[in-house]
Amino acid sequence: MKRYAYFPGCASESTAKSTTLANEFVFGALGIDLIEIEDWNCCGATSAHTLSDTVGLALPARPLAQAEEEWPDLDIVTGCASCYARLKVTNHRVRTDKEARFIVEKVLGKPYEAKREVLNFLDILSGEDERKAVENALLRRFKNLKVACYYGCLNVRPAELTGVEDRENPQAMDELAALTGAEPVDWGFKSECCGAAHQNDAAFETRPLAARIIENARACGADIILTACPMCQLNLEMRQSEYIRKREDKLRGKPSFPLFSMVLPPDPNETIPVLSITELLAIAMGAGGRRLELDAHFVPVGNVISKAFRDENESEVFI
Amino acid sequence: MTEHETLNELMEKADVRQYDCYQCGKCSGGCPMSDAMDFGPRGLMRCAQVGSLGRILNSDTIWLCTGCHACVERCPHDVNVPALIEEARYEAMRRGIKRHDSDVLNKTFVSSVRTFGRNHEMLLAGLYNVFAMKPIQDMASVPHMMKKKLINPLLKPIHGTSEVAELIERAERWDK
Ligand code: SF4
Ligand code: SF4
Repeated sequence: MKRYAYFPGCASESTAKSTTLANEFVFGALGIDLIEIEDWNCCGATSAHTLSDTVGLALPARPLAQAEEEWPDLDIVTGCASCYARLKVTNHRVRTDKEARFIVEKVLGKPYEAKREVLNFLDILSGEDERKAVENALLRRFKNLKVACYYGCLNVRPAELTGVEDRENPQAMDELAALTGAEPVDWGFKSECCGAAHQNDAAFETRPLAARIIENARACGADIILTACPMCQLNLEMRQSEYIRKREDKLRGKPSFPLFSMVLPPDPNETIPVLSITELLAIAMGAGGRRLELDAHFVPVGNVISKAFRDENESEVFI
Repeated sequence: MTEHETLNELMEKADVRQYDCYQCGKCSGGCPMSDAMDFGPRGLMRCAQVGSLGRILNSDTIWLCTGCHACVERCPHDVNVPALIEEARYEAMRRGIKRHDSDVLNKTFVSSVRTFGRNHEMLLAGLYNVFAMKPIQDMASVPHMMKKKLINPLLKPIHGTSEVAELIERAERWDK
C-alpha cells in the first residue's frame, strides 16, 4: 500500500466538502493511504507571502517539518492548488537557497531539510500503477459526457517546479477523465488563472477571469468543467449565476441588480456544472450522489451526470 | 540610497535584469489581469528600464497580479515579473504605500491564522466585508452555504494555535 503524508488545506473543512468526501472515497478504493499531518496549520496562501516573505515561508514550513520529522520517507500530498504552490515553493527554496533554509530553521526552531517531494493529486493519480488501479476500480462508465479539464494556474506553473511537461496543454487530468469514458474537449483555458486569489479584495476586477473560462468551456461544447483545486471550484461555481444574470440584464438593456440576481437560482441553460476530478472518478467508482453530497454544489450537477451513464440502469441507482 | 539603487536592489533580489526584456508584450497579452491594471507586466518592465520606481510602487498592478506566472512561462527571455512584483510590494509596504482593499484582506487573513491556526474562506470573506465596508459582497451565497453546511459557524482552533501565532511573530520580527 502506498502512503503519503496528507495536507488537507483549509478549504477541505468547509466549502470543498463534496470534493473531500470524494478524495477519501477514491484513495480508499485505490488502497492509497493518506495520513493526515497532525494539527496542520494554514499554509498562508495567498496573503501571508504578500505581506512578508518570511511569514510566507514559515507557515508552510511548520506542517512540512512536522511531516518530515514523523514520516521521513513519505512524500507530501495536497488537494488544493494554492496550498500545493506554497508548500512546493517553500520546499524548493529550502532545498536550493541556503539563506532561506537558515531563516526557516531559525524561525521554526527545528531542522527542516525538505528531503521529500510535495505532490498534488494529479501527480499521484497519473502514475502508471495508479492509472491501472483506477481502471480496475471503475464500476460504471460514462457516454457522451464532454468534459473541459481545468487545471488552474498553480497546478501547472511554474513548470520548473511542478514538472508539468506540456505547460500550455497539460494532459494528466484529461487522461484520467478519459478512463471513465468521459470525452475531454480541446479548449483554450486549461491553465488560465481564474482569479480566486483576489476574489475578495478585487472582486470586480477578477470577475471576467472566471467568466472567460466558463464561456470558453461552454463554447467548446463541454457539459461539465472538471477542476483539481477547491479554490478554482468555488470561484467558478459562485460566479456563474451572478455574471450570467448581469450579462442578460445588459443584453436586455435593463439595469443590473447584483444582489437580487445572485439570489435567483442559476438557469440550467446558461450554466455549466463544475466537478472536481476526484468526484468524477468517485462516481465512476460507484459512489452515489448522496454519499458524495453532490447537492452541496452551487450549480446542480445531478441531472447532467445521471443522463450520462453508459448503462441506463445506473441512473436509477445514482442519487 | 537613491531611487535608482533601490530599484536595482529589488531587481537583484527578484533575479530580474532590466534589459532581458525587449518589450515584445507577450506577457501582457497573456496576463489575465492586464485589462484591470494601470499597466500590465510589459509596462512594469518598461518602468523598470527607465528607472521609474515610483510609478511601479504606486501602481495597482503590483496588487492586482494574481501570481499566475503566465507571463514568465511565456516570456521568450524568462523575465520573472511576478518575482519583481513581490519585491515591489514589500518595498511599497515599507514605504507605507498600500492598496486599501488588499491591505484589509491580507491583514484579516493573517490575524485569522493567528487566532485559529487555520482559515475559513467564508469567515474570512465575512470579516473582510466588515473591515472593508462592503457588507453585501458575496453574501447572497451564504444561505446556500449554511444550508449545505459548507460553513461551520463554530470554528475550532487547532491545538497548536499559540505555536502558530508565535511562529508568525518570530517571522515578522525577522523581517525587521
Ligand atoms: S514577454 Fe518578456 S521580453 Fe516580452 S515584454 Fe514581457 S517581460 Fe519583456
Ligand atoms: S503573474 Fe501577475 S503579471 Fe504575470 S501574468 Fe499573472 S497576473 Fe499577470
